Amino acid sequence: MRNEPEPGVLTWGVIILVTCLILYLFERVLWLVVPGLMALAGYYCLQPLVQALVRAGLKHRTAGKAVTGLLCLVTVLGVILLLSLAVTRAAGWKAVTAHYVQGGLDFLGKTEGLLAEKLPQMKRSALVLSTPTNLDAAAEQFVDKYLGRLLLQMVHWVPSLLLVPYLAYFILQDGNRLKKHMIRSVPNAFFEKTLLLFDRVDRSLQSYLVGLMKLTFLDTVCLGLGLWLLGISHPLLLGLIAAVLAWVPYLGSVAGCVLVTMVAATDYPNEPMTIYGCVLLFICARLLDDFVFLPMTVGRSLRVHPVLSVLMLFLGAAVAGPAGLLLVLPVLGVVAVITETLRQILTDQRLRARYHHARQLQRTMPEVG
Amino acid sequence: MSPVVTGLRKPAAMLLGKQTELSRILEVMKLAFNFLRVLADDQRIENLKGLSLFKRLTARELRELDELLHQRSYQKDEVIFDEGDTGLGLYIVVSGRVKIVSSHAALQRVVPECGPGDFFGELALFEESQRTARAVAGEPTQVLALFRTEFFSLLERDRGIGVKILFELSRTVVGRARKLLASQPHLPTV
Repeated sequence: MRNEPEPGVLTWGVIILVTCLILYLFERVLWLVVPGLMALAGYYCLQPLVQALVRAGLKHRTAGKAVTGLLCLVTVLGVILLLSLAVTRAAGWKAVTAHYVQGGLDFLGKTEGLLAEKLPQMKRSALVLSTPTNLDAAAEQFVDKYLGRLLLQMVHWVPSLLLVPYLAYFILQDGNRLKKHMIRSVPNAFFEKTLLLFDRVDRSLQSYLVGLMKLTFLDTVCLGLGLWLLGISHPLLLGLIAAVLAWVPYLGSVAGCVLVTMVAATDYPNEPMTIYGCVLLFICARLLDDFVFLPMTVGRSLRVHPVLSVLMLFLGAAVAGPAGLLLVLPVLGVVAVITETLRQILTDQRLRARYHHARQLQRTMPEVG
Repeated sequence: MSPVVTGLRKPAAMLLGKQTELSRILEVMKLAFNFLRVLADDQRIENLKGLSLFKRLTARELRELDELLHQRSYQKDEVIFDEGDTGLGLYIVVSGRVKIVSSHAALQRVVPECGPGDFFGELALFEESQRTARAVAGEPTQVLALFRTEFFSLLERDRGIGVKILFELSRTVVGRARKLLASQPHLPTV
């Protein structure tokens, strides 16, 4: 196997620039990008089922229709369930959130008091000076001002999510055909390299998206089990939320830990050991993720250096906000693969010479005929 | 007849009746399934069946393989791949003629030309090594390309297809190796 050279500084500059541009554009059409990505994840998860039906003797299109029909049914049922729940329990959710935010703030206040008591020199620090009442008012203001809007946004996203089975259907049905048509339009000289490019992009996306789904499942189970053992209420739901938050690398895990700490502080206001147990659980889950689950699932599918990943997270957040945080790594991975393969194609003298020769043959052919 | 046996007769009959109903439903489902299978046997699959490499594959297997094949057209004298290129897949000639030109004289003698049904570049299916010869279209030619990684994914999914294709491939490779050995002035002793 021939070792390919690592991309140079200029190539990485182009990769980062293109990634930022794509993130900026994605942020403008987020209503289409999110269902598109979910459809892609659905495609990779459902593809083995379609292939199993094809192996059983069904035509590819028929198998695609059968599987997407099933997905459509599940999505419609899920949306109906979610809507009915949102209508009946929205007020309850608001109260529960306010309750848990209050619990978290109380815990913060107590910790501040304890710190000030044990370390008198900290009394003048900004952390201790921020009184719980001020934070309390801010929290109430947040709940009143943003929570309703947040729930409204969730309802607003429902029609967009209905696009998921529709898009998944087309990718399952015609994805391969579309890929073959695109490859057919490529000149013969670049045919093999284009196949390689498609294969690399497909593999990167597949291993990232499917790996992410597996990782979410494993995280949910582990966190749910740990929280259940600690006696926290709704362990599985909290585990799932924390696992989904972990989709945003590094920062997501911290957000998940804060969320669970808030719940634990509300459920057990006088048991600091349980709260510290939650923090310990998250640290253990993070270590388990990094050393066991991540290599097993996502692996090094995107082949991006950790330092660059962190830098890109900040850049993604600056360019496209929360969506940028979530999308920056997969977009960076795919752009890196495409840019690097294109660079190889464009700088290969043999391929270019072969392309010019074929064009020359095409021009001289009618004269010969 | 004992009262126990008489008592059991009714539920047994009901169970048998349900079984007959179930088998009828299964029969109808089987018919519908076969109907869909027959519909899928199109001309393209028939053409694939005519190629020596795929002659052992069933219609269902050919349909699955068809998803992976890429059709390409080359003009006369157009280079398909060059000696020294990184090999990424195998080519099967559908129509036309392909000239194989190699700097290794022995290789040149083994496969000087490929016609309809023949295949070339098969070593690239086994390893990512450099091409040992140059393939040039001798006349307007149509080929089918089978990319290595796509073939590997097929092997993972359905080993049956892989075994049949690899068997045909091995036969040809062994034949070519024999030809290569026979063309050597000093035959190795085995």
